[in-house]
Amino acid sequence: MAEATGTTGTEEWQPKIVMFCCNWCSYGGADSAGMGRFQMPPTVRVIRVMCSGRMDPVFILNAFLEGADGVIFSGCHIGDCHYVSGNYKATIKYKFLKAMVNELGLEDERLKLDWISASEGERYAQVVTEFTEQIKKVGPSPLKPEGVI
Amino acid sequence: MEIGDCYVGWATDEDIRTRGASGGLVTAMLAAALEKGLVEAVVVLKKLGEFEAVPVVTSDPEEVKAAAGSMHSVPIVLSRYLEYGTKVALPAKPCDARSTIEQAKRGQVDIDTTYIVGLNCGGTMHPAMTRKMLETVYKLDPEEIAGEEIDKGKLIFETKDGKEHAIKIDELEEEGYGRRESCQYCAVNIPTMADIACGNWGVIGDLAGKGTFVEINTEKGIAILENAIDAGAVEITPADDKGKVIRAKVDGAMMKVAAAANEKYLAPIEGSHLDYYMNALKDCIHCGACKTVCPVCACGETAKCTEFSSAADTYKMSLFHLVRFVHLMDSCIGCGQCTDVCPADIPLTHIYQRFAVPMQEEFEYKPGMDMTTPPFFGVDLIEEGH
Ligand SMILES: Cc1cc2nc3c(=O)[nH]c(=O)nc-3n(C[C@H](O)[C@H](O)[C@H](O)COP(=O)(O)OP(=O)(O)OC[C@H]3O[C@@H](n4cnc5c(N)ncnc54)[C@H](O)[C@@H]3O)c2cc1C
Ligand code: SF4
Ligand code: SF4
Ligand code: SF4
Ligand code: FES
Repeated sequence: MAEATGTTGTEEWQPKIVMFCCNWCSYGGADSAGMGRFQMPPTVRVIRVMCSGRMDPVFILNAFLEGADGVIFSGCHIGDCHYVSGNYKATIKYKFLKAMVNELGLEDERLKLDWISASEGERYAQVVTEFTEQIKKVGPSPLKPEGVI
Repeated sequence: MEIGDCYVGWATDEDIRTRGASGGLVTAMLAAALEKGLVEAVVVLKKLGEFEAVPVVTSDPEEVKAAAGSMHSVPIVLSRYLEYGTKVALPAKPCDARSTIEQAKRGQVDIDTTYIVGLNCGGTMHPAMTRKMLETVYKLDPEEIAGEEIDKGKLIFETKDGKEHAIKIDELEEEGYGRRESCQYCAVNIPTMADIACGNWGVIGDLAGKGTFVEINTEKGIAILENAIDAGAVEITPADDKGKVIRAKVDGAMMKVAAAANEKYLAPIEGSHLDYYMNALKDCIHCGACKTVCPVCACGETAKCTEFSSAADTYKMSLFHLVRFVHLMDSCIGCGQCTDVCPADIPLTHIYQRFAVPMQEEFEYKPGMDMTTPPFFGVDLIEEGH
């Protein structure tokens, strides 16, 4: 994936963000961001899935239980999914997950869905940067296990 | 006979009529369905004692007849015992009927071969609680009980010496006894989603206590009732308008009571939700019983909630429950089975309802009420034309 280069000082807490990218658009977006040398914080761990429709709530919930401070899942823009309607399905799963995460008491800011195409390298970097800032504001996840930074 | 018709009916067989809850119509109808080959099997509760029964799937009309009568302290949902493709009939409280429909939507039950004989339901009690209540509130020996019924808001136990002991259900519930919490806030009393809805509400005059009020909801409902009439097993008379009005009134009053209970038990959590849920689930031993009994869960032995979760991986909260919270958001009917079986006494129904109800309201999706709305994200996809 794109090598993230931006740093914001060593003493400042850096959140751990898990980002699921669909193979055909968002993962390409990550590549473009790297190739375009767009600055972004090194907070994101990218996991590639074939389509945003493959996103299973279990992935996201497990990411939180294993210590993620925030989770983004992203795919092709609506209408562009390479499997026709995967991202529609993702939208509805997201709605359920969001409601569930809110009721559970995790901050709303910790979960985000965004569409990023393969050519949108700059936007990819922007999404990562903004989300990182957002997570820094809410701080470490209360679901983070003891001993995990 | 047409859909929407209401009748009052009873069993022609005297033994069934007297042992039945309100005239034995349901028992006679189920037995006749077996005898005439309308179905191959019937699910009933086999009575083991006053507070104990097990569900049985039987082809023996005698076993169906032996099961006559309402058991208010057997809160078991029968829909889990249906087998796909078998022509089967089952007596069904609203929770039995609604879970049957949710299973049918997920391909686990063939609705065309399943006759749902609905029973109105005002609630059930946990058997262990019933015993404790008898000892501490009624001051009776549970072994001395010969029968039980609910009449005019009172829970009445009959002892072997023929005496009746009645206490108002409201009073019992104020002290933490009475119906299960889930039944207190269950707002579906008349199973409109069943093929035929049976109950004692609306049976008035000379027939009161001796007849069952039935409302025909579907073609299958007509088939199972006509089959029993043709077999000479039941007799019916059209329900009078006054009876219909009374039935609707009682239903309305019960819904209000349920709404009040809902506000009481599901009041917003004060303070941190996360602390509340972590604390509530901290005693879970991952036995899986709550999943096994859940009548709307369509997964088999290997399910996502169990396969991906282990107690060893549970750091701050169990993934098992987190997955189930999402999976049951559209389908949890609040039947109370999970709470009933939990060895760690976790108020699971309560917790699952907190996740499910807001989503069901947002999607305007009330699970198990009809076969027309597809489950989960099917709803939106169809609207969007995918
Ligand atoms: C828990 C419960 C609460 C009820 N509350 C109301 C009410 O508030 N208002 C009202 O109008 N009617 C209520 N009913 C329905 C009523 O008691 C009668 O079942 C109905 O009128 C049919 O009477 P019957 O004589 O034709 O049934 P029966 O011939 O006695 O047949 C009853 C059938 O129900 C089955 N059954 C008994 N207990 C249960 C159970 N716990 N779960 C599932 N199946 C069971 C038996 O196996 C049997 O097949 C309730 C029934 C139950 C089981
Ligand atoms: S949950 Fe509702 S339908 Fe089921 S036993 Fe309780 S009151 Fe009856
Ligand atoms: S989660 Fe519990 S209350 Fe909800 S349907 Fe399943 S067993 Fe019933
Ligand atoms: S029944 Fe209770 S202890 Fe068992 S898995 Fe469910 S919540 Fe945990
Ligand atoms: S392939 Fe990108 S969202 Fe489906």
